[in-house]
Amino acid sequence: MGFFLVMKAELVRTFTIMRRYWFATLTGLIMGWGMLMVLIIGFMSGGGEMAERLAGEKATSGALGLVIGMFAFGIVGLFTQGLQGMARTGELEQVYMSPHGLVTNFLARSFVSALSAIFTSSIMLMLVAASVKGRLHADPLPTAAILFLTYVNLIGFGFMTGGLVLVFKQTGQVAVLIRLVLVGLAVVASEAVQDWPLVARGVAHALPITDAAICLKMVVVQGRGMGVFATSYFFFLLVSCGIWTSLGLTCFKIMENWSRDKGTLGAY
Amino acid sequence: MSNSNAIELHDVDKTFYTRHIFQKHEDTGRRRLYEKRAVHAVDRVNFTIERGEVFGLLGPNGAGKTTTVKMISGLVRPDAGKVFVDGLEVERKRLKVLRKIGVVLEGTRTCIWPLTPLENLSYFGNLRDVKGPILKQRARELLDFIGLKDKMNVQVRRLSRGQKQKLAVCIALITDPPVILLDEPTTGLDVQSSRAIRDKVIELTHERGKCALVTTHDMAVAQSLCDRIGIINHGALVACKPTDELLDVFSEQTFEFRVDRLPALDGLAAVPGVVGAEPCPEDDGPAFLLHLVQDEATRSAAMYDAMDWLRGAGCLLRSITRRQQTLENVFLRLTSEPRPARPDGE
Repeated sequence: MGFFLVMKAELVRTFTIMRRYWFATLTGLIMGWGMLMVLIIGFMSGGGEMAERLAGEKATSGALGLVIGMFAFGIVGLFTQGLQGMARTGELEQVYMSPHGLVTNFLARSFVSALSAIFTSSIMLMLVAASVKGRLHADPLPTAAILFLTYVNLIGFGFMTGGLVLVFKQTGQVAVLIRLVLVGLAVVASEAVQDWPLVARGVAHALPITDAAICLKMVVVQGRGMGVFATSYFFFLLVSCGIWTSLGLTCFKIMENWSRDKGTLGAY
Repeated sequence: MSNSNAIELHDVDKTFYTRHIFQKHEDTGRRRLYEKRAVHAVDRVNFTIERGEVFGLLGPNGAGKTTTVKMISGLVRPDAGKVFVDGLEVERKRLKVLRKIGVVLEGTRTCIWPLTPLENLSYFGNLRDVKGPILKQRARELLDFIGLKDKMNVQVRRLSRGQKQKLAVCIALITDPPVILLDEPTTGLDVQSSRAIRDKVIELTHERGKCALVTTHDMAVAQSLCDRIGIINHGALVACKPTDELLDVFSEQTFEFRVDRLPALDGLAAVPGVVGAEPCPEDDGPAFLLHLVQDEATRSAAMYDAMDWLRGAGCLLRSITRRQQTLENVFLRLTSEPRPARPDGE
């Protein structure tokens, strides 16, 4: 019950700020689409193999990868740079003093952030698909299921990195690097991962975005619908969710108490 | 814990550690590869605050006031000792305790600047489980109570510092908590805003039965606002008494004698019960200060003897005034003393 109340508060806050700063929101959306288009058109106009690879379905797949990557970048960023910023302004202490606890507050905050990211990303993706004459498959059930698992996976990962940032504030800069790796992985993730060397394959499966991106591309771009649930990537996604969520929440609780011991909760 | 106490601290201790890599040592001047230094932020502090009482926690910068407030609000975990709020131990029942306290921490970024005061109260109210018509009614009442009703739909970033601070107080009160913790609530405020916050705290405690812990550097605010005062220095509570009693105890029993001419004060200093006598520069004729012992009976006898001595010396006595002690003087005296050594040698 408390989670929904906190989520409502976050939802109202986010959309009030988005509405109040409508020009910034709109220009952000246009710039995001513009940047994606420039990237794709740039490669396509280059001709040769790259243009072939990025035409139609490939372009949509690349754009989807980038959008998922940006989604991961945003969600994990909420727990790292977002948390740093909140500590700097004193907002973290205020949120911590909510009787629902820091975990519930961050869950609600990230859920709202994910909702708004999915909303804006979907618009961007549809614009890109229409622009490059690509095709998107609308399979609500598998898409929603994979998006939810992607969110849970990223939340678990976010809680772990966020926990580290609570105590070791300067690791926030390292987290930027990790977030960029997540973006890169989301773009290149495909079934070809199975052909990678063992170590690289292990790292790719261990990180929370690879299998999620592959599954989502299978459903939205390739139109494999419910068939995705029978693939090994979906299984990896489920396992990854379980591991990252439990690891993340445990790490965050430990770090939260350690941070209270060190007195660094509201300090940067 | 006693039923009448809203806050209790028992032997609360907190040490922070700072780590230094290849830093020059202050005393030896030599660089060490790694050094861990301990800072005793709070040193076995004990005090209680009753319901309906305003307790002032005073101390110089870095004395441990904010750490104490943060330990009461659960933001910092004590190394030893126990903190109780409204009968609940903070470490065991932290989330329940958070429903009973309203905290204004130092600084103005305790609210969200792109939102209006009304939206801020709605947001923080929801975070603290206040919702629906009760939230709306309470938010409007609080804004009216604190004097921000006409600004309730203006974005916080457009408000003055005093108005932001008033909003921070409103946010702390949105749950109607029985315990209010105010960490330097009047810092940087103008006289009017400072007085407005002081008046509201008095109203909330004396008329509505809430308990308030206030930390401040403003001695005038502390003296006029607090029923009881604790002075903290180097993490240790060096005094904790009702404000009047604190001023009385630390009064030096100094009396100012106005006379027609200054006598030889050496003779007066020899009177039993007189600690010392010194001339006092006064525009309005000659005067001297007489320091007497603390014991009331001896002091009374010494006063009579001093007057007899003055009569014998042929001086005309114009007036006798007791020198009133100010909280600022008491504070400076108590906080200028060196840090007491801990039994563990640290």
